[in-house]
Amino acid sequence: MDIGRLWNYISRPEIVPRLFALFLCIIMIVEFFVPTTYNEDQLYPKYPPQSQVLKSSLAPYDRGGEPLKTPADIKTQYPQFEPLRGRITAYLTPPAIWISHKTLYFGTTIVSTPGGILDEILYYTRGLDTILESLTLLVSFMIFSWLYLHRERVE
Amino acid sequence: MSLNITSIAGKFYGYIPFGDIVLYVTEFSAISFIVAIFFTLVVYFTKPEKQLESQIGGFDTLNYVSLEELKIRRLMAILCGICTAFAMLTGDLFNYALFLALIGITNIGIVAAVKKEWVLNAAYYYGLIAMISTLPLFGGAALILAKTGTLSILELAKKPYDLLFQKILYAAGVVGETGVAPFYAAKAEMFRAPGAPYILMIHLSSLLIVIRTAEILLTI
Repeated sequence: MDIGRLWNYISRPEIVPRLFALFLCIIMIVEFFVPTTYNEDQLYPKYPPQSQVLKSSLAPYDRGGEPLKTPADIKTQYPQFEPLRGRITAYLTPPAIWISHKTLYFGTTIVSTPGGILDEILYYTRGLDTILESLTLLVSFMIFSWLYLHRERVE
Repeated sequence: MSLNITSIAGKFYGYIPFGDIVLYVTEFSAISFIVAIFFTLVVYFTKPEKQLESQIGGFDTLNYVSLEELKIRRLMAILCGICTAFAMLTGDLFNYALFLALIGITNIGIVAAVKKEWVLNAAYYYGLIAMISTLPLFGGAALILAKTGTLSILELAKKPYDLLFQKILYAAGVVGETGVAPFYAAKAEMFRAPGAPYILMIHLSSLLIVIRTAEILLTI
């Protein structure tokens, strides 16, 4: 086996995604059999699945508390950096209030996200993450629209 | 409470809190931040180079970057530089992963604006790898959260955890997201395509991200 031919093979751009995917498969198959543990003391706890259905119209996202009045009990990593912790959880826009009175499945509709429910974790405790997520989307739209608007220019 | 960590990164200077996401400044991250910002300024103020391509038996041609291509590539390079600079400071694993995803997108943007077949081909395959590697990147961060219950590097550094395989998965994600970017820039012969300073941002961000990943994985 000539090693030069091997180098030439892996130097092609279309081969690298395949090699990377294969490498990832090997890692993940090994990792699947490695025993691991689950820490019960989670930073962002979730209620058990289906525990809120048909009891609250904000079903999976009901974290308790009344917006701007009584703060909800939110667990965070650094409470000293979040003086208004728990106050804006489940703050609803006027259309969202109207829909939430009509149906018990409001929390799972498309209306509840991204503008309907102001979720405490997304918009206050981990706000920088939300900014970066939407920035990623905006940058990809910028690239796409530039490529689309200049599709006639060919070299 | 104290937010002090002992790590290979050197002296701890301070922190910038954004809720749960706490950016912190050490000797290492301060130097990397300044380097990234400096090169972002270089990219902003430099005009792209022109290239004279000499041909046998014909007229020499001058390759240059048109103004509209310059604008999008400079914007992407500046975004890439700013993201690299703040990825140096961030103190949260998930936030770091999001910065990497953004750097990957901007790298594709820098490359994809060049309307040449081989360049676009390389950008396409780089995009495939970046999409594949979001799974190990965010999956690794999620597994670390499940095992330790926290994502903050400052908290993870306080206790020793056995996170070997989660770290391997996270590192594989980093490699796919930005680590292979210089390979594709080189494969696409971007050095032969005009527009010198923008393409160097890909290499600089990849270099700084790999060093910073090593620092994070040794700290937690």
